[in-house]
Amino acid sequence: MSVGAAEVLPAPGESSELLELIPDIAARSPFQLFWMRLRRDRVAMVSLAFIVFLIIVAIAAPLVVKLLGLPGPYVQNLNLTDSFGSPLGPSAAHPFGVDQLGEDVMSRVIYGARVSLEVGIIGTGISTLIGVVVGLLAGFYRGWTDTLLMRVTDVVLSIPILLLGLGIGAACSVHGCIKGLIQPGLSTIIFLISLATWPYMARIVRGLVLSLREREFVEAARALGASDTRIMFREILPNITAPVLVYASLQIPVNILIEAALSFLGVGIRPPTASWGQMVSSATPIFTTAWWYMVFPGAALLLTVLAFNLLGDGLRDALNPRSAR
Amino acid sequence: MRASKKRPHRAIINEVRRQISMRSIRTVAFSVMTCVLALALSACGSSSSSSSSSANSNPLSSSGFPSPLNQSLTGGKKGGRLEVLDETDFEHLDSGIAYYSLDYEVVFATQRPLYSNKPNTATEASPDMAAAPPEISPDQKTVKVKLKEGIHYSPPVNREVTSEDVAYAIERGANPNVANPYFKSYYGVIEGGATATGGPLKGIELPNKHEIVFHLSEPKATYFASALVMPLSAAVPKEYAEKFDKNKPSNYAAHQVATGPYMYKNDKNGNVLGVGYFPGKSLTLVRNPNWNAATDFRPAYLDEIFIHIGGKNTVLDRQVLEGNDVVNNEPATPQSILKLAVQQYKGQLEVSPGAGAHYISLNSHTAPFKNEDLRKAVWAAMDRTALDKARGGSDFTNVATHFLYPTTPGFEESGGLAGPKFDFNEHLEGSTAVAEKYMKLAGYPSGKYTGGGTITVVGATGSPSEEDAEIVNQTLKNLGFNTKFTLVESSIAYSKYCNVPKEEINVCPSVGWINDFADPQTTLNITFNGKFIEPTGNVNWSQFNNPEVNKAMTEAELVQGKAQRAAAWAKIDEKLVEHAAAVPFDWDKQGMVEGKGVQGVGDLWDVGEWDYSWTSLK
Repeated sequence: MSVGAAEVLPAPGESSELLELIPDIAARSPFQLFWMRLRRDRVAMVSLAFIVFLIIVAIAAPLVVKLLGLPGPYVQNLNLTDSFGSPLGPSAAHPFGVDQLGEDVMSRVIYGARVSLEVGIIGTGISTLIGVVVGLLAGFYRGWTDTLLMRVTDVVLSIPILLLGLGIGAACSVHGCIKGLIQPGLSTIIFLISLATWPYMARIVRGLVLSLREREFVEAARALGASDTRIMFREILPNITAPVLVYASLQIPVNILIEAALSFLGVGIRPPTASWGQMVSSATPIFTTAWWYMVFPGAALLLTVLAFNLLGDGLRDALNPRSAR
Repeated sequence: MRASKKRPHRAIINEVRRQISMRSIRTVAFSVMTCVLALALSACGSSSSSSSSSANSNPLSSSGFPSPLNQSLTGGKKGGRLEVLDETDFEHLDSGIAYYSLDYEVVFATQRPLYSNKPNTATEASPDMAAAPPEISPDQKTVKVKLKEGIHYSPPVNREVTSEDVAYAIERGANPNVANPYFKSYYGVIEGGATATGGPLKGIELPNKHEIVFHLSEPKATYFASALVMPLSAAVPKEYAEKFDKNKPSNYAAHQVATGPYMYKNDKNGNVLGVGYFPGKSLTLVRNPNWNAATDFRPAYLDEIFIHIGGKNTVLDRQVLEGNDVVNNEPATPQSILKLAVQQYKGQLEVSPGAGAHYISLNSHTAPFKNEDLRKAVWAAMDRTALDKARGGSDFTNVATHFLYPTTPGFEESGGLAGPKFDFNEHLEGSTAVAEKYMKLAGYPSGKYTGGGTITVVGATGSPSEEDAEIVNQTLKNLGFNTKFTLVESSIAYSKYCNVPKEEINVCPSVGWINDFADPQTTLNITFNGKFIEPTGNVNWSQFNNPEVNKAMTEAELVQGKAQRAAAWAKIDEKLVEHAAAVPFDWDKQGMVEGKGVQGVGDLWDVGEWDYSWTSLK
């Protein structure tokens, strides 16, 4: 990539003496430039910090829960409900209150972060991988390869993800489908999300590749006898990394929301595993008497999605200064 | 004596409705918005009331709230229009098909079976269309019923009711176009009933216009006579209804005439559909101009009952609490509404005991719960007070200790509140020590299950079944079981899994049952007799098939006399506990809410649902 080169090289006709007069200027790598720009974006940095914090909390959830002196996410204690069975609200022992089973909401929100991040990051990783490969092949080879792959993409795009999730939830809920291969749960959610979202990435990548494949550096590589695979993955792919990263970062919150929606509809993560969407769903009928049960997982979902979106915007600006906000 | 294969018992339907009513589809976006709003409006407030354990109080107590047992049945103000808010539509308006507590509200306001219960009893049926109690022959094979004279149908039929109409009403129950869900169970004992398909029954004799005699193929007259409270015995005019019954399915309901104090609003040709009934929208009951109060024990204070159909129960119930001449109509009032009513609208809540029972079915047909000691270990470990608390706490439940529930004959004989004396039944909050004892007896010396494999637990979504299921699942895990836990829509949980033995579901955490009339056989026989295990629509959920108990039930079917029957079935109840046929945890009390201007009267025999023939406006 040539980004930033013009900032350190003398313009034609400039004396090399000039450079000597500015001894502190040093060449910066593209990553350094990207990081410099990103650091200037306070919103993106706060978002990044929140996400890093969330990831640490999710990974160390058992330790965090223990340090905070909270009961585990699956510890039921009906003594923490009132005489009607309504959950009790926030207190020193249970900062986010408890749910109908007397389970600690804070503990479950912390464990719920694991599910959201797993789905968001792994789902996005898989869909990005598939989308990039399909987009590269379609854009590079064009012709019947392009037609075939893009029609497949169109077909996949037409699959209504929520309905498919509901269908799988209904049909495969107890014994699973295809000899138990498809079971509702985290892996199926990730599969569904990957299935539903790779076409968007594929289309973006295809468009970029169609443009890049005509550029001189590709011609040069081809003239030097580089194979198609090498051209695609060593010449073109590095040049589309920035937009792919930006799109992937924006895909993570979408995937988190899809998981939450599926869990909200009762076909996502199975209880007793904690999931924010499922918690919001369970809280709906008792919202008037136990607002905390919806508010805290809802807020966690809101803040996480917001953080990923804002970081995505920041990444876009940092990787492509010409499209600054 | 078994319920229909095709249709679940009305208690199950209630449960299905309850689940459906508790869940609604919303987008996450909406929820997030709601959450943000809630953050902004943190005035929602948190409950700070202290916790208390669910005490096993008097099962007939309504905790100081009005109940069908203590409500006034006299002195209501005449006239007025009652509005009813009903979340879901009726299943069947035809008295020959209806088998659902909400349908019963309108069916019993418009029809008069041979016998029916007053609101404050579930055990003492009064002659309704009948003129006197049934005459039962000493050999228990004949039942004679004399009909009242002077009862007329509503327009457009108008004529007097005769015994032929009662015979036709019962016979049409076997007509596949009508397909009454309990005909075979209760009326199949009439000679010719077992193979009937809708024509005249050999076992029905009509000596005159106001007398009907039932000849039975087995000596079960006492039990059969009890079943005459079912709405299938409400008269139907053959010459008017026959043409509708020829349609598949019968559309008599859309033209139904009444014998009770109210009728579905119709036009001069008898059309109800599009006149008084708009499916999914409303049903209007108006006074039956031909109703003769002198022949009836119902006061029928109201002039009109207008039932709105649609909405969400939590919203509708709030409208009821803040409204005037309005009541709710639903199988189960949400817990949040009950709490609100207790705290802010105390005078507008009625609590009805004896509203059925819930238990955990453990599949005794396959491993691991084929092992009786394992079932006892689960029973011993289960915190039944926790399960009851999830259902609204002690004001609305009692911890169950056996299967015959309060208001059912035999309840006291089989131990009453405390239940049969077995160590695994003693600790309402669960006992680890007793559970370990039975684990060891079951062959697991560590006191934990180490048999490997995974057991399937299928619960229903929505509160409180969802909470029940999670508590049961956690208890099983604590005992060492590896569980595969699934929550599915209530209707699917029953129709596809719990009611289908070949699915081999190990645990269904909250199956429910309510009897059809005051006989303990209706509570225990179909649910625990091995001969009633069906490939589909099975309600012997535990697939309990103990030869000793089966034999006792077959013998008890033939026992005569109410006290004797109660005693015989109480012994069977004890046997079921002894063998841990399932784990009972809840005897329901139904909470119902009414508007400020309503003097609501609930039916003890119909899970506390409002009785429009007794309810009045203040």
